[in-house]
Amino acid sequence: MELTEETKEAKDILQNIIKSKKTIRMYPRNNPIYVKTLEDSYSKFRSFFDYRDNLSLKIKQNSIYYDAEQIYYNPDKEDNLALFFFKDGLREITFKSGLLPDELEEFLKIISLDFDRDAIDDDIVTLLWEKDFQNIHYIVDEAFLIDADEEDYQAKTEEKAKERVTDVDDLMKAYTDGFMGSDVKTISVVPLTDNDLHTLVKELEKDSVDKTGKLFSIIFEMICQNEGRSDLDEALLFLKDAIRYAMKHGEIRGILDVMKRSRGVIDDPLSTDEEKKLMKALPYFLGDEEIVGYLADVLDSGIEIDGKVFEEFTKCLEKNSIPPLVKYLGELATIRARKYVIEALTVIGRKDVPTLAKGLDDQRWYVVRNIIYILRKIADKRGVEYLLRIARHSDIRVRKEVIKTLGELGGREVVQTLRECLDDADMQVRVTAAKAFASIGSEAAKKIMLEKISGKDFKDKNFEEKREFFEVISRWKDSEVIDFLMKILKARSFFSRAKLYEKKACAAFSLGLIGNKDALPALDKFRESGNKLMRDFTCAAIKKIEYGQ
Amino acid sequence: MDNSEEKGLHRSAQDIVNHLSVILRTAQIHDPGNIAVTTAIDKFLPLINHFVDARQDIALDLVGEFFYIDETRIRYSLEYLLSFDFLVREFKKREIGKVVFKERVGPADIQIFIKAFIASGFSDTPFDVMSDKITDSENIDVDRLKKVAEGGEIDARKVVKKSYFNAVSYTRGVMTKIKSGEKVNIKKAKRIVESMVDHLLEEEKLLVGMTAMKDYDEYTYHHSVNVSILSIALGQRMGLSKKMLTELGLVALFHDIGKIEVPAEILNKAANFSDDEWKLIKKHPVWGVKAILRLRGLDHTSIRAAIVSFEHHLNYDLSGYPIVRKYRELDFYSRIVSLADQYDAMTSSRVYSRIPLAPDKALSIMMERAETQLDPLLFKFFINMVGVFPIGTLVMLDSKELGLVYESDVVFADRPRVLIIIDRSGQRVNGPVVNLAEKDEAGKYLRSVVKTLDPNKYKINLAEYLL
Repeated sequence: MELTEETKEAKDILQNIIKSKKTIRMYPRNNPIYVKTLEDSYSKFRSFFDYRDNLSLKIKQNSIYYDAEQIYYNPDKEDNLALFFFKDGLREITFKSGLLPDELEEFLKIISLDFDRDAIDDDIVTLLWEKDFQNIHYIVDEAFLIDADEEDYQAKTEEKAKERVTDVDDLMKAYTDGFMGSDVKTISVVPLTDNDLHTLVKELEKDSVDKTGKLFSIIFEMICQNEGRSDLDEALLFLKDAIRYAMKHGEIRGILDVMKRSRGVIDDPLSTDEEKKLMKALPYFLGDEEIVGYLADVLDSGIEIDGKVFEEFTKCLEKNSIPPLVKYLGELATIRARKYVIEALTVIGRKDVPTLAKGLDDQRWYVVRNIIYILRKIADKRGVEYLLRIARHSDIRVRKEVIKTLGELGGREVVQTLRECLDDADMQVRVTAAKAFASIGSEAAKKIMLEKISGKDFKDKNFEEKREFFEVISRWKDSEVIDFLMKILKARSFFSRAKLYEKKACAAFSLGLIGNKDALPALDKFRESGNKLMRDFTCAAIKKIEYGQ
Repeated sequence: MDNSEEKGLHRSAQDIVNHLSVILRTAQIHDPGNIAVTTAIDKFLPLINHFVDARQDIALDLVGEFFYIDETRIRYSLEYLLSFDFLVREFKKREIGKVVFKERVGPADIQIFIKAFIASGFSDTPFDVMSDKITDSENIDVDRLKKVAEGGEIDARKVVKKSYFNAVSYTRGVMTKIKSGEKVNIKKAKRIVESMVDHLLEEEKLLVGMTAMKDYDEYTYHHSVNVSILSIALGQRMGLSKKMLTELGLVALFHDIGKIEVPAEILNKAANFSDDEWKLIKKHPVWGVKAILRLRGLDHTSIRAAIVSFEHHLNYDLSGYPIVRKYRELDFYSRIVSLADQYDAMTSSRVYSRIPLAPDKALSIMMERAETQLDPLLFKFFINMVGVFPIGTLVMLDSKELGLVYESDVVFADRPRVLIIIDRSGQRVNGPVVNLAEKDEAGKYLRSVVKTLDPNKYKINLAEYLL
């Protein structure tokens, strides 16, 4: 039978809904295809409503009807729009002429969800219900909510309830008693006031805070009331679930409170050994890879984190958290997140330097560099042993970091490695090594630096590098160094004069940094030097010595 | 009309009711020419004329307890609660069911409306006075309040009853399944509760009326559903959103889930409990937490359900059980569920005390408990909801009729609808249902309660009359 024009239009709209269902699922909201699909769909509805007040679709298991005409049929289970609606009890959907673009979009978004694949706790009727559409109405059959063997429950219960007929004598007794004086227990219905409403609004505001903290309190009460091992074990499982949930939602403060309460249980002389043991296990649970993974997600998500709370939280972690923290350090997307993890590792790494140092074996240079940085912040000499092993790391950035760290950690064992680093192929590394010697500041370090500067090859170095080396030796300020510098300042040569002047200029620069006034006469001789570099550096040095500038 | 325009109109509709309420409340205190009244009128006029301009005429309808504009119910938030309640009450007093604004209205029209409104308040035939006096304005008209069609009410009652029994049947199924370790479909629970929320939003009194059904062997299941209904109804009175109402209904439905662990022979014991049995009974809040947390993964609703399960026997002052050590205060939902739970338990015949109380007596006891055991503010809302004479109360009327309270009245809390079970000639009857708010031509109430009696004392089977 030929479909009427109206039915054809309805069919067209339905086809468009099916098409939109796929597009909306596939594309993000700002994608032009998404936008166009929505516009097309809405314009079809609009033209339908030019002459009609509503579009009502009746739903059967495999078919959809408009005005008694079948406009959709699909006997398959897959991609069956009728069945998709029917299985949750939807029997009719009506779009009213006031349909708004937002309503249509929300409707399409709901039907675009993959209920089989996505973990959705609601069915389609609940989702439509929650939206409370003004212009999309629906009729549902609620029979399926009841199990088949419960279908006659209402009839049976009603019959049973009405079975006992009130005895007429009892009724008459009530009637007679009703005449025995007036006795109306007056419960005064106090009218609600504005003040009541204000108080209620405050209550509702208070109620909007997250409830995990409350759940934690309850679990702790359950722990206090436990009647044996199985109660405790179960409470621990609940506590872990709650911590897992809290961490997923970034409630670090809540978890910190749990840890404080667990400390309270441990310190309470009334607590049993089992309770204490259970509580002592909690920090290790926090360090579990799964939990650290949630923490990493939270840190990367941009959820606001209170720095002090985080710092306290990290103090609750145990050393088992180090490997997962190192793992996620390499996977985090944001600087902020990495900063937090580094902060955590700095706190927790002190408890187990060898485990932390395993991170130095990571294939990612930036992870290695971060671990070195952490070891430097921890400033534990035990780290030297591991750092020395990677002083020859293939990545310059890592080498620089490790040299800097070795310099700060100091100690005899680092000297030889740093000495070798002064000959590194990369200038930045060599300069960093020189600065590391400055950090160490020992006599041995001084000697190595003086030797290096006195070396044959030194004059061929880049001027900047030379200057850096001379700056390093200025940190000793003793007569040996001053004499060494004066000697260079006074040196003469007929060959390679430009190179010599570079070295002399650096010596002047170094003397300036030392600030010894005895050097002024020697420096004064070069105030009018024909070599511009020499002249500039000398003047600057004199100024520095005379005026401390 | 785009989305924002639609939302704007909806807000304006709320504002119309609110401002009309403000005008009439102010005019009851001040002279119509007083600046407080004229300022309120000035605020009202652009709102109403905006609608009139768009649609030529606009009707504000009162149907049941709700206002409608253009057949669309005006929903309101908590901030408008008092204004809406006032206007519903005053319209009902005057039997006004509709106010039509036909053309653009001016201050003079509103002044006429105010005068008619105030004059009608002192009359025994308020609507006639209102209708007569409003003819001075060409732009405003009023219609009499229509009674809800009897047939429609019967249908609604059937639907509500079906929904109630679906909920009880589902609860029974869930508890059985949990007990036997089977998987529970929480989606169905949501659907059941959503259906109850819908009924409560549209026909609060019908579904709340179903909670008077208690005289069954399956007390726990009925009780769970009753507590859920009473909690949602209370939440609705407090202006909670639909989503919150569903959540509240859901957690209330599961508040006693811990009882599945209590041996049936104890739960159904005819005599009083021994100390050991009491000890077991008192464990059900904690068992409930365990059952909920085992049921499915944690989410916002399951956490709230666990909290309510744990706290529903804890009092406002944290006495009660389970005994807690370091605890701050009860959750908002717990305080609601606790009220509903106590009320339903006290008025039921299968609770621990085994002595069911008449609904009005239960309220009296609860009133004494407010401040210490119950949240006083929430109790105030609760009383306003169930009324002075809750459903199922046996009442002697001054018309020498004996009846059972059938439905409470949202506006007139002390004037419910009553099912007559013995007529004035002393004959046993089953009906009619009379409205105690009805007046005779002289403006006097046709019937009033002179005495409340305990239906349990006379072994009256409420189900026989109310189902």
